[in-house]
Amino acid sequence: MNRSRKILQKVFASLLFIALVTLNNSSFAADGEALFKANCANCHKPLEDYTGPKLQGAREREPSPDWAIKWVNNVNSMLETDPYAKGLLAKYGARMTQFQLKNDEIKAILDYADAYKAPSAGPTGGTVGAPAEDNSLLFGILTLVLAVIALILLQVNSSLRKLSDQKDGILRSEPVPFYRNKSYIMMAVLVLFCLGGYITINAAIGLGRMKNYQPEQPIYYSHKVHAGTNQISCLYCHGGSQDSKHANIPSVNVCMNCHMAIKEYKGDPIIKENGQQVNGTAEIQKLYQYAGWNPDLKKYDKPGKPIEWVKIHNLPDHVYFNHSQHVKVGKQQCQTCHGPIQEMPEVYQFAELSMGWCINCHRESKVNFYNKESGEGNKFYSIYEKFHKDIKAGKMDSVTVEKIGGTECQKCHY
Amino acid sequence: MKKINILTVLAFTITGVALITGCVDSKRQPGKIYMPDMAYSRALETYSQLNDTVFTDNVAHAGHEIFYNRRPVDGTIAVGELFAYTLPNDSNGYKLSAEIKNPLPSLTKQELAETGRLFNINCAICHGASGVANGPLSTKIGAIANLTAPQYVAMADGTMYHSINYGKNNMGSYASQLSRKQRWMIVHYIRTLQPKADGNSTEVTTVKKDSAVKKMDSVNTKKG
Repeated sequence: MNRSRKILQKVFASLLFIALVTLNNSSFAADGEALFKANCANCHKPLEDYTGPKLQGAREREPSPDWAIKWVNNVNSMLETDPYAKGLLAKYGARMTQFQLKNDEIKAILDYADAYKAPSAGPTGGTVGAPAEDNSLLFGILTLVLAVIALILLQVNSSLRKLSDQKDGILRSEPVPFYRNKSYIMMAVLVLFCLGGYITINAAIGLGRMKNYQPEQPIYYSHKVHAGTNQISCLYCHGGSQDSKHANIPSVNVCMNCHMAIKEYKGDPIIKENGQQVNGTAEIQKLYQYAGWNPDLKKYDKPGKPIEWVKIHNLPDHVYFNHSQHVKVGKQQCQTCHGPIQEMPEVYQFAELSMGWCINCHRESKVNFYNKESGEGNKFYSIYEKFHKDIKAGKMDSVTVEKIGGTECQKCHY
Repeated sequence: MKKINILTVLAFTITGVALITGCVDSKRQPGKIYMPDMAYSRALETYSQLNDTVFTDNVAHAGHEIFYNRRPVDGTIAVGELFAYTLPNDSNGYKLSAEIKNPLPSLTKQELAETGRLFNINCAICHGASGVANGPLSTKIGAIANLTAPQYVAMADGTMYHSINYGKNNMGSYASQLSRKQRWMIVHYIRTLQPKADGNSTEVTTVKKDSAVKKMDSVNTKKG
């Protein structure tokens, strides 16, 4: 009797432990939605033609189901040779950017587009990441239910034992109440210890990372309105990211390029997270205060002063990071590091900006390696003799950032 | 029993502390860091606040404090940059600008692609990718110039540059976003968007550009 009880307890404890560990484990499979948003959403929509064709049903329209996989990674060469690609260029008039995505990533994107349904009209427009949240909630409830059942079973077990003992006439001392029962206490301690340890370690790792940092800015500037609804290119305001180490914060005169004419906000209402509605027109007035602009006279009649935006993304002093290196040479999209910025009413830090995060991308990203025969790619890489030989011999098909020294310490720490 | 009591207290404390520190909604705060002097640069970086007691942007105080106003010295030109555009931002300058010729030779295929990219970032937002004033913001700002309209086909390169440089009507100055060279490149690019004399918008060719220039020249001679 005692033995079966022990086994039951052990099973229960391990069940709890497993549930605890798996609770926050996110899936590592290629996430079509995230990939789509990071790479494709600038020019493609799932359901309608945009700068490029709609992605839903792309595989059915194309000459072969594998066509898209060849296409995404070989845009430049296929535009010269492939008749279907030429037709696309003629129809849409815009060359697609060449990407370096893995086959399963492309598949994931197209699967996402095929499964995509127009969001139902209503206040809950964005359903980003909803399925993942639903799952963990489900697991949580399931664990709780199982735990309660296990507890009830344990109680039933002890009651039954008491009854059978009474029937057999065996006298036993009064059982201790559960809150003084050593095994229960031990179990509670174990669970709390695991939970506490998990949270403590995560918090310690998160120290100094500032992920999700979303400070209040002097003006409620919505990237969703500007970069999303109005489709202003990131580089219109942050042009410095192609030319310098810093992606510049636009000076007030850049805001005034449009806001000389746009005096009031007439778009969809912007609701803050606390339910307050943002008065867009009042925010534009704040801009006029900073610029010293008089909208009635249509001229600057006061001295302007800069807006003191709060810096969100901060790398430690001992790390060198250069925007132009990544944007201009590496041809990375802004969204790769800054997340779906065109959907953020208020900007928050999307990525961890940890070293592991940097290194991981350097291991996976391929450089725009120079092709000696076609003359395509970044000519700088023509000096990498060994890689050229290896590619020719078929030993490797692409060169990652890591291979050209992108994970050496002194590339970023010096 | 005592041991268990100690363990219980310990577990509760750890969990409690962790919950309090970990679950406080702190997204408005930058959070704690291990070594602030390493995380936040002590050297001056872009946008770092200058110490008012040490630095000044008033040239009269130079000598007492360190003079630094973040602007290039007057009359200096960056390496690889074109000479300054000296016509003043007034009606007289606007008139005189028609005399200024585009200092850049016609664009190579590569330059044209690069300029097209710049045009799409900075100009197409209102003027539209093909210059016909159908950009995403065109309905919001209003009175957008259709760059393919006859008056812009006839407009001198210098006048176009003048408007990009200083802004015109609802358009602001693009001098802070595009370098002088890039602004002249864009003038070249706009010519490639404009129709030939027969009014058909065709592909980008130097022939077309020449015809636009010829037409412009003929307009200029008529005026003269």
